[in-house]
Amino acid sequence: MTFDISQLGLTAPLFVMMAAGVILLLLEAFAGGRQRGYLMPITVGFCLIALGLELTSWEAAGSGSRSVFSGLLSVDRMSIFFDCLFLSATALTAMVAGPYMREHRFEFGEFYSILVFGASGMMILAAATDLLTVFLGIETMSIAVYVLTGSWRRNAKSSEAAMKYFLAGAFATGVLLYGMALVYGMCGSTSLATIAHEVPRVMGDPSSTPLFIIGLLMIVAALGFKVAAVPFHMWAPDAYEGAPTPVTAFMAAGIKAAAFATIIRLLGYTFNRPDVAIGASGWADLCSVLAVITMIVGNVAALRQDNIKRMLAYSSIAHAGYLLIGVAALATSGANDARGPLLVYLFGYTFTTLGAFGVVAWLGSRKDERLSIDDWAGLGSRHPAAALAMTIFMLSLGGVPPTAGFFGKFYLFRAALGKTNPWMTIVIVIAVLNSVVSVAYYLRVVMAMYFRESLREPKPLPSRAVAVAIVICIVLVLGFGILPDWLIRAASEAIPTM
Amino acid sequence: MILTVLTFLPLLGALGLLFIPKEEENLLRGSAITIALVTFGVSLCLLFNWSDSGFNHVVDVEWVKSLGIHFHLGADGISLWLVLLTTFLMPIVLLSSWTAIHKKVREFVVVMLILETGMIGTFLALDLFVFYVFWEIMLIPMYFIIGIWGGDRRIYASIKFVLYTMVGSLLMVVAILYVYVKYHDIKGVWTFDYATLSKLVLAPREQLYCFAAFALAFCIKVPLFPLHTWLPDAHVEAPTAGSAILAGVLLKFGTYALLRFAIPFFPDATIAAAPLLGVLAVIGVVYGSLVAFAQKDMKKLVAYSSVAHMAFVVLGIVAWEQKAIDGAIYQMLAHGIATGGLFLAIGVIYERRHTRRIDEFGGIAAVMPKFTAVFLIITLASIGLPGLSGFVGEFLILNGTFGSYAALAKDALPQFLPHPKIFAAVATTGVIFSAVYMLYLFQKVMFGPLTNPRNRDLPDLGKRELAVFLPLIVMAFWLGIYPSTFLKTIDPAVKTTMTAFKEKLKAQTGVTTVMADSGGTPQPEAAPSAEGGGAQ
Repeated sequence: MTFDISQLGLTAPLFVMMAAGVILLLLEAFAGGRQRGYLMPITVGFCLIALGLELTSWEAAGSGSRSVFSGLLSVDRMSIFFDCLFLSATALTAMVAGPYMREHRFEFGEFYSILVFGASGMMILAAATDLLTVFLGIETMSIAVYVLTGSWRRNAKSSEAAMKYFLAGAFATGVLLYGMALVYGMCGSTSLATIAHEVPRVMGDPSSTPLFIIGLLMIVAALGFKVAAVPFHMWAPDAYEGAPTPVTAFMAAGIKAAAFATIIRLLGYTFNRPDVAIGASGWADLCSVLAVITMIVGNVAALRQDNIKRMLAYSSIAHAGYLLIGVAALATSGANDARGPLLVYLFGYTFTTLGAFGVVAWLGSRKDERLSIDDWAGLGSRHPAAALAMTIFMLSLGGVPPTAGFFGKFYLFRAALGKTNPWMTIVIVIAVLNSVVSVAYYLRVVMAMYFRESLREPKPLPSRAVAVAIVICIVLVLGFGILPDWLIRAASEAIPTM
Repeated sequence: MILTVLTFLPLLGALGLLFIPKEEENLLRGSAITIALVTFGVSLCLLFNWSDSGFNHVVDVEWVKSLGIHFHLGADGISLWLVLLTTFLMPIVLLSSWTAIHKKVREFVVVMLILETGMIGTFLALDLFVFYVFWEIMLIPMYFIIGIWGGDRRIYASIKFVLYTMVGSLLMVVAILYVYVKYHDIKGVWTFDYATLSKLVLAPREQLYCFAAFALAFCIKVPLFPLHTWLPDAHVEAPTAGSAILAGVLLKFGTYALLRFAIPFFPDATIAAAPLLGVLAVIGVVYGSLVAFAQKDMKKLVAYSSVAHMAFVVLGIVAWEQKAIDGAIYQMLAHGIATGGLFLAIGVIYERRHTRRIDEFGGIAAVMPKFTAVFLIITLASIGLPGLSGFVGEFLILNGTFGSYAALAKDALPQFLPHPKIFAAVATTGVIFSAVYMLYLFQKVMFGPLTNPRNRDLPDLGKRELAVFLPLIVMAFWLGIYPSTFLKTIDPAVKTTMTAFKEKLKAQTGVTTVMADSGGTPQPEAAPSAEGGGAQ
């Protein structure tokens, strides 16, 4: 093990965020007091510094080995792309969470610190090129989010959600570790590069193949839990509903993207061989079956929800299904052709979700969270700007042009049709019909806002930060819906290295 | 350039209107009408520098480089008049809703103008991606128009409208992607260019699936029996302005896109599916007419008459005979004017009485003589009285369908419709039926004794309302008396489409996928300059 000090430079954004976590914690402990309003801008500031560092390292990341810490992490363009997503998501979450916590009287300084640590976990995960760092990243991220979920201590639903999420999550961690142990046992290494090298040997050896496959499936199952793919989705509706709304946004956007980053590295690159897993075309079939089930369950269940957070939770499950089509396409169309669309989709999904939950958080006031869709009635006349914002986010989630959500879906489906594989064509047709179903429930919100008269006057958060966060999301969602070229190019250049 | 201006002028206008305070309702209405009139003026400029070969005034700008998407617009004889119909109807419809819409006026005019951008863009798009984007952009404003300003069951009607349309359009997007990916597999170029992709010849089986996806989207829009059930709901619930635009323009997208995209792209599938479409069209003509006759609500009656009249258009297209297709396009224009006018006329009555039940009326001619005259002319135009707009289209369609056997045989093309004479004969009954139900409506509402006391003091048409109907009446006569104004540009465009179809059908060699133009690598960038005769 050699340690080169220059490697610290490559991981500077990660260290900025970790330092930010510590500083925020110390500020709360020593400079705390009753006024905590300054913590939110500090959090956002650190995120912006890290974001700036990421963006400036983009050019350099295009060439040479980006492996650091003896191959534990790879700070390549894919990790930079994802880090930018996580950092923006963290900053936007903080901007919404501050006013939200103040309104609902549970602001405490550790929240920001834990949020930032959660983001560092995601950053580790996006760059992880070793099973150890994958585990480290997942745990750092997950434990932080368990705490955030339960951070509204006086709210019983929040505690319940945290408990459920934690117990199910701990079980998933166990499955993940077991799977990693089996893969390690068969391949003799935790490094993804070495594992990729060993896979042909393991698959050629009948005595080690079954255990290896079981290990792989366990890893996939644990990651499926993180992205809330059916049948590992049971925790999601409760956790999404109970968590404070900004945390739900962070979960929906950040955790999903981070888990997909790992999935892309593992399935797209390390295990991307037709003979791995079960069936004729390996895990491609497995993923497309998962995708179909996930889409259908998510969309159909979302139709029946009256609580907007639960509806968005099921919608997030459905989106995991669409993304899994992209994962299947990593095998059928080639990892480099399908990776870009996945990144573009995640980009659009992240900002749309953050924006939608931002509006949900904005609408509620103390003791009156306004989570039922009926509570949204008449928003179109009372708060036209907010209603317009929510409409844009709903249309983007439903995949209506000209939004980033539409473009992501379009681009993803194109990649999946790549080699005009008949089975994938059927999956796409199913996905498209699912989109129609999804439009039905997304439009329920729009309908409530515009087509019905309001019953009670809402008292939204009087905060400029929330409004700014929502406007940023709108600009990104519409901007990349209309001019997606730049994003497509960045995503297709975001090639991971081992 | 002129097409870009034309397409985005209403949208820019709509954004500008957002800065007018919402209390200034008359200013908002006036500005919206001005914007729509300016757009109409711009669209009239298309007639200058017109060339009958290929597309005119082509705009071709790279939009998304990495996916081969171009912002590519162009007008030919088929789209020209439909665009003009759109821009012509929009100011009229906005003027007609001056007093009818008094809630959320700013939102209304903004949404209407966004809708106009969507409609113009869809007619002009020569890139499949651009076409799809505009196609979907159209959908959302109409959803709001029905949902916000509609009647009692507006929520049901609006969501039904959206879901029906979405099922079709999303399956169409899969087919578009399929063609796009297939083209890349063969030629190694990513392009959505209309002219380039239309040269791709797919295997018959692939054609059938893709044609089914396209045709489903378009037949829902037409709407062709049995996919028409959203239409009566949408029409009845929509406000007058929404119904007029829906019937006047939106339905035309189905038949337009069938002729523009589905048929030229998949010739073998078209020939295979034509009998089915023809039968459904004929059923639509008869069924629509019979159901219209049974309606108690005026709007529903006109809605079902639309089902019948649009089925005529489909019949004309699938007969695949020069005259019949000319007639189909002509009928689209005539239907736009006449049915748009009928909905506006019903709106006039509805605004005065807040009911559309036919049995509430009778003897209106005594109190509203001007309105009666207007209504009569529009009714007769809709029926297809010689000398008025409806006649020319229907006559050409029936005549062309009747003679399509000989015409196709002469060109050595396979028959689209088996026994086309029977199709023509059955469809002709639709002409008679339409006279029956429309005159029945007219008679019940206008003639007879004035029994209902609430109808006694109905005011006649005001100046504004006359201004709404006058242009429609002028156009109804123009279309009826001097059709060559329109046919002289429609005819060559139809001829081009038919020639391309014929060549593509011949280019097919067996079941494998081949390219119609076998020589050279395709240059999507170069295609428009080679084809477009007009100024940029």
